[in-house]
Amino acid sequence: MKDKLKSFSPFQVDAGKIMDMYGLSDEDFTAAADSEKESMVEMHKSISFWQDAWRRFKENTVSMVALVVFIVIVLFAFLGPVLIPYDYSSQYRSAQNLAPMQYSENEQLTMLATSGADAYYSTAVQSGSLTAIRKGSHYINWKGATYAFSNDKGIENAILMLDTDAENPLYYVKLDDIAEDGTYSEITVVEYTSEAAEGADELELSTKIFPHVFGTDSAGRDLMARTMFGARVSIIIGTMAALIVLVIGSIYGSISGLAGGRVDFIMMRIVELIYSIPEVLIVLLLQVVLKDPLQEWFDSGTSAFSQAMSDLGTGIVSIMITFALLYWVTMARIIRGQVLQLKKQEYITAATALGASNGRIIRKHLLPNCVGPLVITTCLQIPSAIFLESFLSFLGLGVSAPMASLGSLCSDALASITLYPYRLLFPAVVLTLIVLTLNLVGDGLRDALDPRLKK
Amino acid sequence: MAEDNKKLLEVKDLAVSFFTPAGEVKAVNGISYSLGYNEVMGVVGESGSGKSVEAYAIMGLLQSPGRVIGGSITFEGRDVLAFNEEERRQFRGNECSMIFQNPMTCLNPVYTIGNQLMEALTCHDSGISKDEARNRAIEMLEKVGINNASKRVDQYPHEFSGGMRQRAMIAMALITRPKLLIADEPTTALDVTIQAQILELMKELQEKENTSIIFITHNLGVVAEICDKVSVMYAGNIIEQGDVNDIFYSPQHPYTKGLLASMPRLDAEGHERLIPIEGTPIDLLNPPAGCNFGPRCAECMKVCTRMKPPYAEMENGHRSACWLHFMGNKGKEDE
Amino acid sequence: MGIYILKRVGAAILTMLLIITITFFLMNAIPGSPFLTEKSTPQMIELANQKYGLDKPLIIQLKNYIVSYLKGDLGTSLKMQEGTSVNDILFHQGKFQLSIKLGVAALVLAIAVGIPLGCIAAYRRGTWIDGLLRVVTTVGVAIPTFVLATTLLILLAVKLGWLSTISGSLEDAKSYVMPVISLSFYYMCYIAKLMRTSMLDAINQDYIRTARAKGVKTKWIVLKHALRNSLIPVITYLGPVTAGIITGSFVVESTFAIPGLGKYFVQSVLNRDYPIIMATTAVLSAMVIGMNLVVDIAYKIVDPRISLSAKED
Repeated sequence: MKDKLKSFSPFQVDAGKIMDMYGLSDEDFTAAADSEKESMVEMHKSISFWQDAWRRFKENTVSMVALVVFIVIVLFAFLGPVLIPYDYSSQYRSAQNLAPMQYSENEQLTMLATSGADAYYSTAVQSGSLTAIRKGSHYINWKGATYAFSNDKGIENAILMLDTDAENPLYYVKLDDIAEDGTYSEITVVEYTSEAAEGADELELSTKIFPHVFGTDSAGRDLMARTMFGARVSIIIGTMAALIVLVIGSIYGSISGLAGGRVDFIMMRIVELIYSIPEVLIVLLLQVVLKDPLQEWFDSGTSAFSQAMSDLGTGIVSIMITFALLYWVTMARIIRGQVLQLKKQEYITAATALGASNGRIIRKHLLPNCVGPLVITTCLQIPSAIFLESFLSFLGLGVSAPMASLGSLCSDALASITLYPYRLLFPAVVLTLIVLTLNLVGDGLRDALDPRLKK
Repeated sequence: MAEDNKKLLEVKDLAVSFFTPAGEVKAVNGISYSLGYNEVMGVVGESGSGKSVEAYAIMGLLQSPGRVIGGSITFEGRDVLAFNEEERRQFRGNECSMIFQNPMTCLNPVYTIGNQLMEALTCHDSGISKDEARNRAIEMLEKVGINNASKRVDQYPHEFSGGMRQRAMIAMALITRPKLLIADEPTTALDVTIQAQILELMKELQEKENTSIIFITHNLGVVAEICDKVSVMYAGNIIEQGDVNDIFYSPQHPYTKGLLASMPRLDAEGHERLIPIEGTPIDLLNPPAGCNFGPRCAECMKVCTRMKPPYAEMENGHRSACWLHFMGNKGKEDE
Repeated sequence: MGIYILKRVGAAILTMLLIITITFFLMNAIPGSPFLTEKSTPQMIELANQKYGLDKPLIIQLKNYIVSYLKGDLGTSLKMQEGTSVNDILFHQGKFQLSIKLGVAALVLAIAVGIPLGCIAAYRRGTWIDGLLRVVTTVGVAIPTFVLATTLLILLAVKLGWLSTISGSLEDAKSYVMPVISLSFYYMCYIAKLMRTSMLDAINQDYIRTARAKGVKTKWIVLKHALRNSLIPVITYLGPVTAGIITGSFVVESTFAIPGLGKYFVQSVLNRDYPIIMATTAVLSAMVIGMNLVVDIAYKIVDPRISLSAKED
């Protein structure tokens, strides 16, 4: 070695000097052990595709925030109705046209009147009006004690109170006896026993009074309950439509892509034809056409399936049918494109050459590689279905009252838009938020699942 | 040096890093070389060794997150790194041109070849007339051996074959008569027969137009054919440089030797076996403390695992960065 | 080129026929008769059916529609303007013209604003302008047309009183403002987003690097090299935009009380006025299909790689 260096270098480096300079000893110039060599290289921890995708998604602040907001909306739509004492279809008589955060007249009275009581029973709390406590035997369970009584006349327009500190714990107050400031002097004592009679009705006592957070509509329905219900309907429609599109589109697309040749040609011409039809025109017609036959089927059908469908209502079911008929073409195209592209990949050829069966190739190679576009397209399909539904409902062709969707709520709000603009505000904001967050989550998924797109 | 005024390009301690979310990637880590007028230098290395990055740094084509973090580039006495945007734009394409690896994607598919050639002229000389630019384009296409140039000039890139596109790229790069041409793997994406034609063409044009060339490649055969001197890059460093003959006939660095041993030769005697270089390139995010080539080097010593080797200067500007050249006392004992 | 256009036109006609057939059968699948009212007797319905040829077999009725459409005769209204020719209703009463005016204005606005906004966002990527545009466009594609239309109506017309709540027949420039903005906003935002993505994609292409290496000015790199290439996805989207604008017109026309085709179509469906349903569907579909045709041909102009004789996929 040294010989060579000498013979080649006119300004030869004095090796000894260099060694001094760097503080090296002869020992340093002995061969390094394999372990020493290996220690120079830090090995990367290998992570799976999904871990990597999830890591990328987490880093995307906007998409993460959108995901959280969307989850909150889902909770609002599906858990919310349990938490508020109103439901979407009941009409609360004294509660028409309330502004947000207001209480109905009866609620206000009850609030005042019950200041001394532990608990009260009032049909107002549940149905919005103090109609009557029915004739017959009733009992009330309150803190382990039973108060059973029977009344032969029915109690009209009154609040049943329970005040355990009072001499006569159970009594009712007529609404007419309650003054403006909530005070009252006349009470009617109710005699009770601690044994409930056979077949007695349990009256549930309540201390809860709840404001109409989003206000009420002209029929006295609570708008928050309706918005929750509407959001639920919209989310269900969006998800189901996306699933329908996913199933039909991916089956059609992969058959077309895998079959190739003449089959593919014909299948793609059909797709093109459907693609060039302005769907909404057909959708509108379909909505009208399907309404009556569907209703008939619901009425005659006894199977669990038709029962479930009839719970959804004709509007929603015909929207689903529309999606199944017309909206799967984009998905089919994407999947076919993926399949065609993958079919050309060397590793598929290699797998075929190694004798892998078709099933194995589809399972092990094609599917995992298609998952990205599948997830993204499905995710972005949901908002577009929600859009379409709201559009149809807005035109009066979607779900009909007392059912609600976000679109129909917006549409209902229009009639009195100048007087009660908030009736549009809440459903519109929820609708926009659902679509917005889903779009952002979809974008985030695209970036996370397809790193090639993110440069 | 006394010949400083004869230098076209001088690169000193150039360092380029990419600031990725995962950390700083030192793509080029302090390289120096100089290039004279009418000289052809080969830059050899495997992918990821930093050879293209270094070229982009000269052209000012580095894009975020890549940044020059140290060193200097001097072109005819001017500091290239200190150029403002307009100066850099005038420098690119006019004084220093570049051609790229993949002629299929490097031409804009929606404009004609002629349009793109003329653009190279008009964006540096707004006074040039359309007819003149067109004539120059046709003339240039003829020079790079495209038949029927006056018709071809109006065709779109997709109507050209791969080899013809690379010819058109070369025409585009040379139409402004630049002093320096950087060719980034110009033949890699082409068929072998076309490769030879393109190399031939470049050699011919280089002689005719007196252009200096930096020829980036991983193919040593190409280097031998066209270059005057060679820099061998590994993991962001030039580990050996010198005249083409010195590098080919007396390679010093184990990596260069490995490269040459792994290359098939026509003059091989009998059944010489090709010897591959074991292992894979290092991870530039976590470079080792010692020699970058250490983990793959058959002659790796203890010092190599701890310290970067200095250059050993040899005659004729030939130098190599390897601790083997400094095996002081041990070598003496052998004597 | 000629053959390609012929082929495309052929496909378009086929699609038109398909749509007319589908519409026809769907329409006839609507239960009940258009003449069914509280007062009508079975005899009256039969007579009316006879009068309008509704007693003939469906296939014959369909054939009659197609034949008369080829002659340019769209039939006669059964109900909504009984006895008036549909041609008169759609064209002479100005419904078609109104919808076209509205649609073209919205389309032009969406393109003329969306494309530059997308370019600016891509060009100024990472700056506050890009950030702002991203927020606006992302929110823009999440707001349904009817929400935007009503919001505009309340703000500009009811609360501020700047504009009239009824746009009517779009006689002055002011009456265009709200309908056109509500109709085009979604598509403007979508185009801007699309343009930004495809511009960024184009900017990362090798030929942009070549142009930079040639020393082309940044402005020209964007305007010449990146723009034309990135227009291709936007052009593809113009077909759906047209369909969408027509859809949107259903909403916008009823919100702003514009007596156009969109509003009339919805009414005709609800009223089961067969000839009007058929005719409006045909006219609206023709607009969409025509636009698709234009898009296909515009491709060739922008992207020379697409050979018009071959089928691209």
